Amino acid sequence: MSRTHDEHPTLAELDRDGAIEEAAAGVDRATRAAFLRRTGALVGGGMALGAIPIAFAGAEGGGLPSGDVKILNFALTLEYLEAAFYKEAVSKGALKGGAATFAQTVSEHEAAHVEALKKALGSKAVAEPKFDFKGTTSSEGTFLKTSMTLEDTGVEAYEGQVGNIKTPAVLMAAGSILPVEARHASWVRDIIGAGKSPTPAPAAFNPSMSMSMVLSAVKATGFIKA
Amino acid sequence: MNNSSDFPSFTELDRDGAIQEAAANVDGITRAAFMRRTAAFAGGAVAASAFPIAMAQAASGALPSGDLAILNYALTLEYLEAAFYKDALSKGALSGETKHFASVVYAHESAHVEALKKTLGSKAVKTPSFNFKGTTASQSTFQATSKTLEDTGVTAYLGQAGAIKTPAVLAAAGSILPVEARHAAWITNVIAKGSGSPSPAPEAFQKSATMSEVLSAVAETGFITSSLPTAAAGSATSAQPSMTG
Repeated sequence: MSRTHDEHPTLAELDRDGAIEEAAAGVDRATRAAFLRRTGALVGGGMALGAIPIAFAGAEGGGLPSGDVKILNFALTLEYLEAAFYKEAVSKGALKGGAATFAQTVSEHEAAHVEALKKALGSKAVAEPKFDFKGTTSSEGTFLKTSMTLEDTGVEAYEGQVGNIKTPAVLMAAGSILPVEARHASWVRDIIGAGKSPTPAPAAFNPSMSMSMVLSAVKATGFIKA
Repeated sequence: MNNSSDFPSFTELDRDGAIQEAAANVDGITRAAFMRRTAAFAGGAVAASAFPIAMAQAASGALPSGDLAILNYALTLEYLEAAFYKDALSKGALSGETKHFASVVYAHESAHVEALKKTLGSKAVKTPSFNFKGTTASQSTFQATSKTLEDTGVTAYLGQAGAIKTPAVLAAAGSILPVEARHAAWITNVIAKGSGSPSPAPEAFQKSATMSEVLSAVAETGFITSSLPTAAAGSATSAQPSMTG
């Protein structure tokens, strides 16, 4: 089978008003240098609790290379999806015990990721899509399986961008989110299978996915309406 | 549209490669070119060998001294973890999910050791001698120690992300970091018995630690009975792992 270009939601399509491209084209060299100086100390000095929001607070979308803005908006799109999924699952009230605790904790984490990424991107942040989770939040069983897929995908998505990020502060920010997504994935897998199947840690080396592959996979879920 | 009752994984969705093909079309390149470009890291099917493939492109002799030091630092931590799980399994004090966890994680840490040794070749540090001080002799001390080691592994890899110069080394470290995080969350959930306390994911943004912080913490455990590697990084005289205290 093949899909046409029109059927794929890309970040370029999300950037309908051209804000990202415009900002990228207008990057000022001095501004970027100042940004790198500001964030350099944070990156080089070891990351303490809360360092990522601090690092992000110094980042303005316009001061970042266009590739990094695109990656951050890619990440933001995935975090919007996750945050909305958990918010809906918590509100539906179908979860109990360990699954409810997991959903509440992860909901808070994904919301924090959204806020940090939005703050970093400023006016360059893509708007939140509309979602339809197709009933997957209405039962504990479907919630857990869907959560596992979303978290595994999140890990692979962040890992896939590690080599593409140009700005040290952005790399550290993505790096601080990547293992948290991995913890979520492992946690929900252990809830489902009690360590057996699905195994919380399926491979010695975690796979990754390209941006195109992730966006195609997300599109295939039908969770994003617009 | 996916049926909510058997939501497939994204890998399962793409058994025939349709998504990869579609993605290649989106990018306006041929499938062959797409596969070439993404061969090392793009897909689950090749994921298990991603590290060796990437590192085969980077002969240790050609790596910058800082990257050699980081790889030997990682190797030292992986030696420690692998030896810990090997010791724990041989002691026979583990049962149930904890025993299964130890077996799976031992295999992973051993694979990390082998990949790092292969990458470093003659520059690889030798394994230190270890004494785990009885922590592998009971299930509860094993669990607590495992959690500490895995949490430390995560902070250690994350702490080097900004210091790695070679893209293949960064990608390789990036493929290990989330695995250590999966281990950490797994053993934490075993300890918590699903209660969420201690939390398998205690914060929204993972903390990191510097090389000297990690090596100091490791030294405090007393688990390493031989001296830590000092000359093993070859020419990396200014960036070797070193003790701070």
